[in-house]
Amino acid sequence: MGENNIILNIKSLSKHFGALKAVDEVSFEVKRGEILGLIGPNGAGKTTITNLVTGTYLKNSGSIVFEGAEISNLQSYQIARKGLTRTFQVVKPLIGMSVEENILVGSLYGRDNRNTDMKNASKRTGEIIKLVGLERKKDFLVSDITLPDLKKMEFARVLAMEPKVLFLDEVMAGLNPTEVEETSILVKRIRKEKELTIVFIEHIMKAVMGISDRIVVLHHGRKITGGTPQEVVNSPAVIEAYLGKRYAKEVNNEG
Amino acid sequence: MLLNNKKVNIFSLIVGIIILIFLPRFISGYWVRVITTIFMFAVVSQGMNIMYGYMGYLPFGNIMFFGIGAYITAIGMSRGLSFLAVLPLSALTAIFFSIIFGFPMLKIRGHYFAIATIGINGALMAVVQNTTEITGGAMGTTLPIINKPPEVTNNYFYFGMLALMLITTLVIYLVTKSKFGFGIRSIKANEEAANSMGINTTYHKVTAWAISSLFTSIAGALYAYWMSFIGPTEVFSTVFAVNVIVIMLIGGAGYVLGPIIGAFVVSLLSEVVWSAFLEYHLAVLGITMIIILFFVPKGIAGAVTDFIKNRELRLRKKVSV
Amino acid sequence: MILQMITNAFLVGGIYALMGIGFSLQWGISGIINLSYGAMVILGAYISLECFNIFQIDPFVSMIISGAILFVIGAIIYRRLLQPLLKGGIIFTLILTFAVRLIVENITLKVWSANYRNLTLSYTGSNFQIGDVFFPLTKVLVFLIAIVLIYLTYLFMTNTKTGKGIQAVALDTEGAQAVGIDVEKMYLINFAFGTALAGVTGSLWASIYNFSPHLINAITGKVFIIAILGGLGNIWGAAVGGLFLGIAETAGLVFFGAEWQEAIGLVIMVGILIWRPYGLIGKKFFG
Repeated sequence: MGENNIILNIKSLSKHFGALKAVDEVSFEVKRGEILGLIGPNGAGKTTITNLVTGTYLKNSGSIVFEGAEISNLQSYQIARKGLTRTFQVVKPLIGMSVEENILVGSLYGRDNRNTDMKNASKRTGEIIKLVGLERKKDFLVSDITLPDLKKMEFARVLAMEPKVLFLDEVMAGLNPTEVEETSILVKRIRKEKELTIVFIEHIMKAVMGISDRIVVLHHGRKITGGTPQEVVNSPAVIEAYLGKRYAKEVNNEG
Repeated sequence: MLLNNKKVNIFSLIVGIIILIFLPRFISGYWVRVITTIFMFAVVSQGMNIMYGYMGYLPFGNIMFFGIGAYITAIGMSRGLSFLAVLPLSALTAIFFSIIFGFPMLKIRGHYFAIATIGINGALMAVVQNTTEITGGAMGTTLPIINKPPEVTNNYFYFGMLALMLITTLVIYLVTKSKFGFGIRSIKANEEAANSMGINTTYHKVTAWAISSLFTSIAGALYAYWMSFIGPTEVFSTVFAVNVIVIMLIGGAGYVLGPIIGAFVVSLLSEVVWSAFLEYHLAVLGITMIIILFFVPKGIAGAVTDFIKNRELRLRKKVSV
Repeated sequence: MILQMITNAFLVGGIYALMGIGFSLQWGISGIINLSYGAMVILGAYISLECFNIFQIDPFVSMIISGAILFVIGAIIYRRLLQPLLKGGIIFTLILTFAVRLIVENITLKVWSANYRNLTLSYTGSNFQIGDVFFPLTKVLVFLIAIVLIYLTYLFMTNTKTGKGIQAVALDTEGAQAVGIDVEKMYLINFAFGTALAGVTGSLWASIYNFSPHLINAITGKVFIIAILGGLGNIWGAAVGGLFLGIAETAGLVFFGAEWQEAIGLVIMVGILIWRPYGLIGKKFFG
């Protein structure tokens, strides 16, 4: 039953800013429950696609189908309520509010606008705070915590929304290797426990290779290939353009 | 709440309200009227507070709703309607305008919104000034005078405005604790993030403005009934609008009690300034605004809250060591 | 009749354009919505009044003095009041500049009273005539000077090192910094320049109209409209905006009467704000 298996279907999606083709006829599918890595150099169009899918940008052409319904004409908040959400490359905390309050907002709104009940929302917020390990910092104002904690908080915030599909936009930027490792483990764990589908945008190759089920590679707004990590790593075009022989060898040795 | 001890808070609030209820017995008619005006300013400032303090959108020209409330009441009552009959009419008209203007205007960025409200307020004032047959034009219009002795009238409006102030403050308090309140605060915190989290920001903005317009217009309606005479430059006045903003800032924008504190402080200060500096009141107002922005940007409520939080943190540190 | 209307519209459009450019530059480039702008214009008018009454200096000469004084005042306001509070956001600057306006308004009221003043020059009242159309001499002079000043402003922005610096900062703050431009200094000079234009406009205004602190509201309203119509930071846009306002006011005067003038202006402004926040001209001149 192919239809049910594909939760997000992007077909011939295009977005240009004046003469610049940020996204050029990109098509790919996201299977329910998978972690799909989305890679490519800066300017390849990864964040633009995220913005298009989540309603921040308006497409020029193509279609975005989520659970069988076209969503490209919906507004951000409507898409979020359907269960499709994202984190931001440059974190966007709710300034002036505490860590706990930030996550609470995610819990109050989010999928199907659920949890109108403050009590329920508070309870769920408490659970998620424990899950990501922010208990000691929950009353801190977001202006008073470090970047890794901000990223954790934003991650917790989107989880509190109970999404079905989550776009993680460079969650690892600015983290040290230990933190990267921790985040990788957390992402895999969350995917399993929450039955999420994750689109994972990242530059840190080791992380992407390590946790993605499949990978889509973008360059200059176009998709140049897609497949399992092994297939992508061995694709001549990709090796040549991005990975460099060193990474290709490393993964081959481990794999 | 300012203090973290809930029982102390509720106790002091009740004490405060009781004092206010019995106050008229002990003070002269002049002061009863002054304090009634304080209550009124607190209400209008609360209307500004929910929009700016909590949501981050400054409706500079928000007094347009005050003017609408005043004029609908004036027109209605001079045509024989009772106050209780015109009151809902005034409020609904104001809400109607807030929605009609709100939808297009709240979609644009914050500072454009602020200026656009100044424009609409000015336009409304001009419209009132020019439709003389209905509104009395620039000369103003009168309402039926209340045939009661002054003490009774004074008290009637004192308690009316007091009730309005308490109800408005209660509503604002409940809103800020509610899910809707979190939505509004998220808009101020980061509107783009709020959208991505599933918050329908347009709905929140328009509703917040409707609430704001509701209370502001009722204050205007009461004012018109009280004064028995209103004029367009008075109820749509820019200086009035500025006073309201100053009150909100001094008391503390984004704090429930801010407008009340601000109204008391500013009005009492004004009494002093008026008698001492009559010719310089504009400059004093301006200098005061600058001083607040530089030294007490969070207002009195904010400064007190911060002080208490810091004291708690220091105590906690001592205990844990 | 129509020709006279058009002439009047253009003549007033000139001074409006000059006025609007200063405000537009401050808003579009320095990012400050200067609610004290109207007060600055009036201040310029009063400076010329004193120069005329005490030293018999013609306003077309004393406008240089006004410009210089207002430049300094603008620089002080920006450096001492606005810069420290920029972190408070645009709302803070709105309130701050409004506070400055109140102070200046109070000073002008105290020193010169609320009475309307005017400057009667030896050539005030002389006209020349082309066909059926009257050209008041002073208004023509003001128009010509305004055009020259607008052009000089354009040259300043595009041909001098400072002007190009300002342009660079407006287009790309980080890029400008990277090539060694003192960004804050550019914002400062731009703002002070805007205030200077206000002062100059005030002097010109004094030579053709009467004035009083009561005009502060109306003038502030006008510069808002002009800046928004023309797109913020856009010199030629503001010029067109000024002309447009001149036409709208003249036509409004003829067709609707003086009372509705202000209302119409405000309605136009709100309409533009809602439907085209970038102004009639389109994208900002400086990106």
